[in-house]
Amino acid sequence: MFETSPVQQPVQPPRQSLAGRAYLVRAGVSLGALILLVGVIAMAAAKGETHIPLGTVLQTIANHLWQAGYDVDPIDAGIIWNYRISRAMVAAACGASLALSGAVLQALLRNSLADPYLLGISAGASTGAVSVAILGFGAGMVSLSLGAFVGALVAFGFVALLAIPAGRGAGAIILAGVAGSQLFNALTSFIVTKAATADEARGVMFWLLGNLSGVRWPDVYLALPVAVIGLLGCLWYSRALDAFTFGVESAASLGVPVRRVYVVLIAIAASMTAVMVSIVGAIGFVGLVIPHAARFFVGTRHGFLLPASALIGAVFLVAADIVSRIILDGQVLPIGVITALIGAPAFAIILCHGRVLR
Amino acid sequence: MINHDKRVLAVGVFAAGLISSVSFASATEYPLSIENCGTVLQFDAAPDRVVSLGQSTTEILYSLGLADKVKGTGVWFGPVMDEFKDVNASVPRLADNDPGFETVVAQKPQLVATQYQWHVGPKGTVGTTEQFNELSIPVYTAPADCVGKDNAGGGDGVRHEGFTMDLIYREISDLAQIFDAEDRGDALIASLKERQESSLARVTASGHDNVSAVFWFSSPEINSDPYVAGKNGAAGYIAGKLGVRNIIDSNEEWPTVGWETIARANPDIIVIGKMGRRRFPADDWQVKMDFLKTDPVASQMKAVRNGNIVVMDAQSMDPTIRLINGIETLAEAVERLSASN
Repeated sequence: MFETSPVQQPVQPPRQSLAGRAYLVRAGVSLGALILLVGVIAMAAAKGETHIPLGTVLQTIANHLWQAGYDVDPIDAGIIWNYRISRAMVAAACGASLALSGAVLQALLRNSLADPYLLGISAGASTGAVSVAILGFGAGMVSLSLGAFVGALVAFGFVALLAIPAGRGAGAIILAGVAGSQLFNALTSFIVTKAATADEARGVMFWLLGNLSGVRWPDVYLALPVAVIGLLGCLWYSRALDAFTFGVESAASLGVPVRRVYVVLIAIAASMTAVMVSIVGAIGFVGLVIPHAARFFVGTRHGFLLPASALIGAVFLVAADIVSRIILDGQVLPIGVITALIGAPAFAIILCHGRVLR
Repeated sequence: MINHDKRVLAVGVFAAGLISSVSFASATEYPLSIENCGTVLQFDAAPDRVVSLGQSTTEILYSLGLADKVKGTGVWFGPVMDEFKDVNASVPRLADNDPGFETVVAQKPQLVATQYQWHVGPKGTVGTTEQFNELSIPVYTAPADCVGKDNAGGGDGVRHEGFTMDLIYREISDLAQIFDAEDRGDALIASLKERQESSLARVTASGHDNVSAVFWFSSPEINSDPYVAGKNGAAGYIAGKLGVRNIIDSNEEWPTVGWETIARANPDIIVIGKMGRRRFPADDWQVKMDFLKTDPVASQMKAVRNGNIVVMDAQSMDPTIRLINGIETLAEAVERLSASN
């Protein structure tokens, strides 16, 4: 792939001015992504199933941020603030978390195909969700989200238990993840085939493909802190992650506490992903592709790569959500369809450009 | 002159008596051929044993006084109508939902009556129509599930033509004919029609003007896009009959529509479904009510602020014999709304 292995860096001794310029470029990319994020969230507030004039949107935002006291229809104001902006914030937190988890796992497992769902989390979440929705676990008292969260943790626990006796290395974790995912996917199919009516299956499957429709502020209060804490946690280990790209032995010889880094970072990635999946379902593509895109812009140093992945992931998912709401009139597409539909060609362009530049 | 009037009256009374005695006298002539959902069913005699899959179909059979012929039931959505509690207790319930094919066949039915092709049909979950036909068991399908409706896409299907209560009347008269109970069928249809007409008269008398409504069945997650009634289904029929505008304009039976769209359409009345099912938290009508009162946007809708939320038996919003109850419930709500304006 186009990730320049850090091993090569000493081969081309960086000149001071070039390094300085690279630093500026990287900082610029992050700053640009941050500005883009604010812009795209504002756009998400202005676009929706129904048309609300831009003036009303701005007045509503001003009312909430600065108590501006404009006279806005309460339904319009509610839709903008409580439906659209909360939804955009969750989309941002979710995109950031998934991209971040992907970046961390790709480095940790030294596999460019690693993504947040490698650890069995989306498979477990779907099993948990269908157990609630179709088998009726919790007798209507347990929400799909809680079922999905518990399912995700159970599946991750299963994968972790499988990986430990299998040798604990990157290969063992990947294979354990594959086995766990297959097992829980099979369980989901079993439940759906055995017990679901078409109506139920449709409802759950739509949700599993990723659905931001039920998102409100309480979800923001959960998703945003998880994303921020996750980012800080991963940044704390960014040096260790740099070392990991040389291989586990090299990392150990550089004084990195290999086992602790493994456990902590995988736990962070798994819990971030489990929380996001339980709020919005399993949105694909973001966690796999955004880290590669970010690497193309800012390089492989994790001190830059992690925040850049998070920001680009956030922008990407908010934008994908806007598209999913407006592409079909009066109908909302599953966001997972959009992420792949836009993401794949965009990624292809980056991929080809990357080769040309090198 | 007076004499003449009396004579006319006497003739009228005589004629009425004649007609009713004729209708009492009319027995089904066997062999009977009945057109049903694109096929023709043949009966050499009234069946003695029927398995009924679908609560509405079962309740129609009970209403026709045929409970002793029903040898098994399945596909229940809630408690049976109060007046049939005792009758129903003596009929074997093969399953709450779909019974297995062999369980149905083991009752040695001479007829399987199904409310939905989902259960018995080209790809039925209980069995296909062919499977039953191979054992010489005819399958009667409720016209409401096949006339003007496409079930090929799965789910709740799509209606091209609006549902009308005539489809339920047809099911009643078909079943009455098959079981040689046409007089009871006619009486049942007449009483249902009369209830519909009197509801209509009440709404017309209330002088309502351009009332709009939304029918909320349930939601997969309480905050997420709800399942609401499309324009062609039973709920659409209820609204149309009473001159109420359904704000949802979709051919699907139960499309999902965002709260943003519903809130901005801002209907006068919100009808929420009450059901025994507890698959999603929002199946509980009280959970729906709580959402409407607490959600920052939904709570601003005029139906919520003015207290025009109507709780309706979910089966009355589906093509069932209970639909008339739904008409009565909504008619009362429209009357209340017009009175308060």
